[in-house]
Amino acid sequence: MADLRSVRVAGIGLLCPAGIGAQGMGGGVPGPVPGFRARDHVADRKSLKLMTTAVRLGVAAIQLALGEDPGWTEVPPDRRGLFVGASPQPGDPEDLRPALEAALGEEGRFDMGRFAREGYPLIHPLWLVRGLSNNIIGFASAIHDLQGVNMNYCDGVDGGRSALREGALAIAEDRADLVLAGGADAWAGAESLLGGRPCGDGAAFILLRPGTPCIREELEALIDREPPEKLGFLGSATWPVALARTWLGRDRAT
Amino acid sequence: MSRPDVVISGLGTVTAAGVGFSALAEAMETGRDCTRRVDTPLPVCAVASVPVSLLPHRDFPDDRKAWLALIALEEALEDAGIVGDLQPQRTSVFLGTGLSSVTPGELEEDAYPHLLPDGTGFDVDAMRRDLARDRAAPRRHDPSRVTAEFVRRLGAEGPVGTNFSACAASAQAIAEGLRTIQRGEADVAVVGGHDSMIHPLGMLSFIVLGALSPTSCRPFDRRRDGFLIGEGAAVLILERADRARARGCIARARLLGAGTSADAHAATAPHPDGVGAARAIERALRDAGLPPEAVDHVNAHATGTPVGDVAEALAVFRTIGEVPVSSVKGALGHTIAAAGAIEAAVCVAGLQGGWMPGTTGFGDLDPSCPVEVVAAPRDAALEVVVSNSFGFGGQNAALVLGHMDGAHG
Repeated sequence: MADLRSVRVAGIGLLCPAGIGAQGMGGGVPGPVPGFRARDHVADRKSLKLMTTAVRLGVAAIQLALGEDPGWTEVPPDRRGLFVGASPQPGDPEDLRPALEAALGEEGRFDMGRFAREGYPLIHPLWLVRGLSNNIIGFASAIHDLQGVNMNYCDGVDGGRSALREGALAIAEDRADLVLAGGADAWAGAESLLGGRPCGDGAAFILLRPGTPCIREELEALIDREPPEKLGFLGSATWPVALARTWLGRDRAT
Repeated sequence: MSRPDVVISGLGTVTAAGVGFSALAEAMETGRDCTRRVDTPLPVCAVASVPVSLLPHRDFPDDRKAWLALIALEEALEDAGIVGDLQPQRTSVFLGTGLSSVTPGELEEDAYPHLLPDGTGFDVDAMRRDLARDRAAPRRHDPSRVTAEFVRRLGAEGPVGTNFSACAASAQAIAEGLRTIQRGEADVAVVGGHDSMIHPLGMLSFIVLGALSPTSCRPFDRRRDGFLIGEGAAVLILERADRARARGCIARARLLGAGTSADAHAATAPHPDGVGAARAIERALRDAGLPPEAVDHVNAHATGTPVGDVAEALAVFRTIGEVPVSSVKGALGHTIAAAGAIEAAVCVAGLQGGWMPGTTGFGDLDPSCPVEVVAAPRDAALEVVVSNSFGFGGQNAALVLGHMDGAHG
């Protein structure tokens, strides 16, 4: 391989059960992100309707990270990359309820004929869109003109880790001059799906740029440890939130 | 230090053409239409389903796309002759996957018991409790579980990932595998994709979007009105060329480069001018170190949708110029997350066999599409082929594949 470039942190966007931004470094309990209002971060109301909680958090975290580096707009759009750890977005059962109800046949069974005749016309045309795991990339790339290299990892807790690692490598290997790497997930309220394990919502994106001090070795060391769960199970956001909390804390200390 | 050459040393596919890579190659070389008419109350006239009865896999009884992937894996490993010759620390896995399958039985099991008596909604808490108790869910909806099964079977300890970028997923997974070998993190990357949306909710997703054709898939044709749903899986064994040579493997083709991009246009529609698609193609060619004029053939993503085909045609014209272009979606259906891997396999078959696939369903070129469409399969000595995959949400991937004896690579 050619020589690798140094990779520095130029911004951090954090939302977790402890809070938003610097507040997110403190203590907190598993659950939703306190004080999070998607409208504070996403101007386009039409898009907002198509975003699940996790996508809203992810888009907000990207916005916060970019806000820490006023010079980011000088990077050509095709050199702006996005690496995301995410989960499939669980659809709201209510989106399908009218159609499923219309399809209810004899003895409470699914009746395909009724579904075809009366059910599916009741479903919103963009119903599928809300369920896509790559929606953070879809929405954030459009909002911030991020045209460069990208990847969406759907590997649970490991997804966020892969996104951080690959995002840093994209800068190091000169495939991008700006990368947002991180993850988002929303598990608050889904404890019963995980056997009662405490769950939370969260998102963190690290804005990476070429330069020093290089964080690649530190990043590798940090994400090689056991994932922390102080704030509950955060799915794909686990590692990005942990890293964001570590680095924000260090910055504040210095 | 120069980066290592990467070859495709093994392939396994399960598609509407049949089980096995030879069935796929034969169908594409002869121009066989692998779709079949279906009689369903849904507004769907045809699908491209795997034409043999598959037994549910013991470990994934409810996930058809997992069965497809595991069959393809077996064939790919055997084809590469690599079983017993894998070093765990130097083996990597990247798969592209799609949304969960949901059968009518599962709909009944998951949803109906939780409708509130007055019909005003679902008892969501009760639904969640039941899902947690269900032997399958929520595991059924874990996209990475097939990747994890591959890792378990191969004992892979190298980099691993599950890519979910809609229709670009498996091409992006192949790109990841390539990068991993080029970086020196692995000597072998088992890559590919799998998907099956031929179930009520799967088809419904595309019906409500207006993406399915009520008649047939006609890429680049002026009468095109959408695609037909397909299903399938393809697994490619990527390997360092020198390693494959050293163990006496006669590889099938070279993987010369890959490029990704984002449209950055809208989460719900492709860029109408194909600028994001063009960037992915440019990056892939740059990655391969090849000029546009080196490309002999383009396997288009072209699904037969009104906007997408024009955007891609413009992208190909702008980046490569005049070049023969085929789309196999008319013959194999749109296999969604698996499309990139299956179509890479078609490209390999064409490179090896000396032919270009045709474009089933194509008849009358849309003048907005400035491309030379290959209507029927034809003989051609191919050295370099580009394969495109573009995902809903605006993620794009392009791969550059080369003949083993070509001057490039």
